[in-house]
Amino acid sequence: MVLKLVKILIFPGFSFLAIYGMFLEYLDRKIYARIQNRMGPPWYQPLADFLKLLGKEIIIPADSNKKMFKILPIVSLAAVASAFVYIPVFGNTSSAFFEGDLIIVLYLMTITTICMFLAGWYSRGVYATIGSVRTLTQMFAYEVPLFMALLAPALIAKTWSITGMTAFYEEHPRYILINIPALFVALISGQGKLERAPFDSPEAETEIVSGVFVEYSGRLLAFFKLSVDCELVLVASLISAIFLPIMTDIAVLDFVIYLLKTIGILIIFSLMRSIMARFRIDQVVKICWRYLTPIATVQIIINLLIRGLLTL
Amino acid sequence: MQAEQEIVDRLCEEFPFLKGRVHVQRQKRIFTGHLVKEEFEQVIRYLHNNMGFYKANHVVGTDEGENLGFIYLLSNKEGIMLALKEIAPKSDPKINSMTCIYPSLERHERELVDLFGAEVQGLPEGPSYPLPDGWPKGNYPLRKEWKPEYFDKNTMTYNPPDAGNDKGKR
Amino acid sequence: MEKVDENKERAENKENEENKESKQNRETSERNRIVIPIGPQHPSLKEPSSFIITLEGEKVVDAVIGVGYVHRGIEKACESRTYIQNLYLIERVCGICSHTHSTAFCQGIEELAGITIPRRAAYIRVIVAELERLHSHLLWLGVAAHEIGFDTLFMYSWRDREKVLDVLAEICGNRVNYGINTIGGVRRDIDSEMMQDTLKMADYLEGQLKYYLDLVMTDKVLSARLVGIGKLSREDALKFGVVGPVARAAGIMDDIRIIEPYAAYDEIPVNPVTDTHADVFGRTVVRIKEMLESLEIIRYSVKNIPDGDIAVKAPRRIPAGEVISRTEAPRGENIHYIRSNGTDMPDRVRIRAPSQANWQGMRHMLQGQYLADIPITIAAIDPCYSCTDRAIVVNSESGTEIMDWQGLRQYSIEWYKKRGIDVSLVKMPERKFYA
Repeated sequence: MVLKLVKILIFPGFSFLAIYGMFLEYLDRKIYARIQNRMGPPWYQPLADFLKLLGKEIIIPADSNKKMFKILPIVSLAAVASAFVYIPVFGNTSSAFFEGDLIIVLYLMTITTICMFLAGWYSRGVYATIGSVRTLTQMFAYEVPLFMALLAPALIAKTWSITGMTAFYEEHPRYILINIPALFVALISGQGKLERAPFDSPEAETEIVSGVFVEYSGRLLAFFKLSVDCELVLVASLISAIFLPIMTDIAVLDFVIYLLKTIGILIIFSLMRSIMARFRIDQVVKICWRYLTPIATVQIIINLLIRGLLTL
Repeated sequence: MQAEQEIVDRLCEEFPFLKGRVHVQRQKRIFTGHLVKEEFEQVIRYLHNNMGFYKANHVVGTDEGENLGFIYLLSNKEGIMLALKEIAPKSDPKINSMTCIYPSLERHERELVDLFGAEVQGLPEGPSYPLPDGWPKGNYPLRKEWKPEYFDKNTMTYNPPDAGNDKGKR
Repeated sequence: MEKVDENKERAENKENEENKESKQNRETSERNRIVIPIGPQHPSLKEPSSFIITLEGEKVVDAVIGVGYVHRGIEKACESRTYIQNLYLIERVCGICSHTHSTAFCQGIEELAGITIPRRAAYIRVIVAELERLHSHLLWLGVAAHEIGFDTLFMYSWRDREKVLDVLAEICGNRVNYGINTIGGVRRDIDSEMMQDTLKMADYLEGQLKYYLDLVMTDKVLSARLVGIGKLSREDALKFGVVGPVARAAGIMDDIRIIEPYAAYDEIPVNPVTDTHADVFGRTVVRIKEMLESLEIIRYSVKNIPDGDIAVKAPRRIPAGEVISRTEAPRGENIHYIRSNGTDMPDRVRIRAPSQANWQGMRHMLQGQYLADIPITIAAIDPCYSCTDRAIVVNSESGTEIMDWQGLRQYSIEWYKKRGIDVSLVKMPERKFYA
C-alpha cells in the first residue's frame, strides 16, 4: 500500500513527472535557442519561473466564473498526473494497469484540453474566447488522427493495456516496424495536441496575445504551465511506450532507455517547432483531415489485416 | 524643362485666370499662386481627369496671416510634382474635400481639420487625427498665433496671457 | 393577362421571401459578430495604434484604424528652432529611417541656399542611406517572421542586422540616429578601414540574403501564410496612393532614386525591383531583392567614391523661398516641404513620411482576411507610427549628460541598487565591432 502511494506520488509518479516536465521544458527551450543562434536559458529557468509565479498576485476578472476559473488549472494538472500512472517508466510495467487503460489515458489527455477550453471560455475576455474556440477547433482536428494512430498498434497486440502492449512488442519486436506510419502521424498530431508551433494558433502571441491563458496570473497560471509541461512528458512517454517498446529486463536500464527515448522525441518536437511558421487554424484542420487522417486510416486497415493473418 | 513648360502652357490655355500665376520652379517642380475655392476645384479636377496627375502625395497647410493656405502636391508618372495652392480666410476656413478624386488624401485632410481648424466639407466620417481625445475645441496648434508655452498639459487648457499681463510668458 | 399578373405575384412573393431570408441571414450573422480591439497595446504592434476589428467567426468584416498616439508636435517645434537645431530634431522623427529624413531636410535647405555639396559628401550620404535600408528591411523581415510565428527566421535576420548596425556605428558613431548629415555636406569622413569593413559585411550579408530569398521562394509553410494575403491590386494601389515596397509589389515602379535621382544616385546604377504578386509575399520578395540591390549600390559607391572635401560652409540665414524635397526612404517616398522667410528659422516644415501614405489602403487590405492574418498584413506595409504621427518635445530639467558605455552601465546598476536589486554580479560580454 505504502509502496503503491510512493509509486504514484513520488517516483515514478507525480513528483518525477513535475521535475521531468520542467527538465524537458528547459531542454526544449535550450534546443530552440541554440537552433536560433541564441544562448538559451540556464537549467533552473523553468523552476525559477514556476516559483516566481507562485509568489505573484492572482487577478481574477470580474466577469469570469470565479469557481471554475480557480478550479480548472488543478483539474488539468490532476488529469495529466493520473494519466501518467498508467505509463511504464521504471521497468516494463506501469504503477497501475488494467485491460483498457490506453483508452483511459487518451480520455484523461482530452480533459486537459477541455480544461483549457473552459478556462478561456469562463474568463470571458475576447482574446480568451477566441483562443478557447480555436483550442476546441484544433482538438477536433488532431484528435481523430492521434487516437487512430495510437490505437493502431493495439490492434496487433490484441490488448487495450499499455503495459500489455509493451509486453507483446517485447516478444515480437519485428511488428514495431509495421507501425512506422502511425508513429509519423502521432508525432505530428502530438505536436498539435501540445499546441506547439506550427500548431500554436490557439495561443498565438501575435494575434490573440496568449489565447486561453491571457487572463490567468500567479499561482493559477503556474499550475497551468506545469500541466502543459507534464502534458509534454505524457505525450512523449506515451509515444515512446507504444511505438518504441525497447526493453531489457533490468529496471534501471529500462529507465535510462525511457529517458533517452523521450528526449529523442522531444528533440523531434523542438526541431518541428523551430523550422516552421505558424499555421492558420483552417490550415491546421485541413492538414489533419486531408493528410494525417487518411494515413492513420490506412494504418488501421493494414493492422486489421495483419491481425486477421495472425489469428489464422 | 520641356515637359514642365508644356504643362504650364496647357494649363494657362485652359484656364485664363492662371496666366502669370503658374511657374516652373526647377526641373520636376511646378508651383501655382494661391487660388480661391472655385478656381482651385476646376483646376484640380482638370489635372486629375485630363493631364495624368494620378497621384496626390500630400497636403501642406500653411498660415498666411489672415488666411489659411493649402498646398496640394500632385504628381504624374514622370515624377513631375505640381504644387497647387488654395486659400481660405481664417474667419471662414471652408474648403471642399478632394477625397472624392484622390482617396489617398483622407488622412492629410483630417490633419488640416485638427491642426489648422479648416472646415473640410465632404470628408468621410472617421476618428479624428492626430490630436488626442479631449483636446480643447478652438485650439489649432499649427496656426502661428498658437504658442505651445501657453498650453497646460495637465488641465488640457490654453491660457494665453492678457495684454499687459506678462505672467506665464517665457 | 391573368397569367402575367400571376407571374408578377409569384415574383413578388419570391422577392419577399428572399428579402426575409437575407434579412434573417444578416441578423444571424450580425449576432455572430464580435468586436475585438487590437491595440493601443498588443504584442504584435511594436508601437501604439489601435485597430477595432469586427469579426464574423475568424473573418474580418470591418476594421477601424486609429493612429496618432505618438504625435509629438515636431512640425510646430521646427518653427521655433534654427535650421541647425532642426536638423537634429528631424533626425528624431523616426528611429529606423532617421537618415532619410535628415537627408531630405538638408537637401531642401541646400536647394534654398543655392549650395552644391561636394561629390564625396553625396557618396557618403548614399552609403549611409543604403546601410539604413539594409538594417530597416532586415528588421522588417524579422518582425514579419515573428508575426507569423516563425521565430527562427526572426532571430536569424536580427542577428544579421547587428552586422549592419556595427558598420553604421563604425561610420557614424551611432547605431541609430546617425547624425552624419549637416547642411552643406556630411560631418564625418569615411576611411579605408571603414570601407574594408563595409565590403566584408556586404560579402557576408549577400550569402545570408540569398539564403533568405531561397527560403521564402521555396518554403511551403511560409508561402501558405504569405501568398494571397493582404491583396492590394495595381488599380487599388494607384487609387490609395501607396508608396515604396507596397506599390512595387503591385508592379508600380515609384523608386525616387530612379525617378528623381538625388545625392549621388545620378551616377550610381540603380536597378528597379518590382513584383506582380501584389500581396504580402510580393512585398517580402521585393524587400529582400532590394537589400541585394542595396549591397550592389554600396559596393559601387565604396569603389567609386571620389576624393575631396566632405562639406561646404552654409549660411546661417536661408533666403526666403519654398522647396519640395524628395528622398527614397526604406518604406517608400519621403517628402519634405520647407518654406523659409529669410531668417535663421523655417516658416513651415511639413514632413510626409512614407508610412503616412501607406495607411490609406490598410482597411481595404484587412477586409475579408482571417484574424490570424491581421498582424502580418499590418506588418507588411512596415508601418512606422512615429513617422506617421511625427509631430512634443521632452524638456529635461537637469540638462544633458554625456555617458560612455561603462558610465551608463554604472548608472543602471545604481538605479537598481536603490530599488534593492544588485545586478553588478551579472557579467557582461565585451562589445565587439565587426571585424
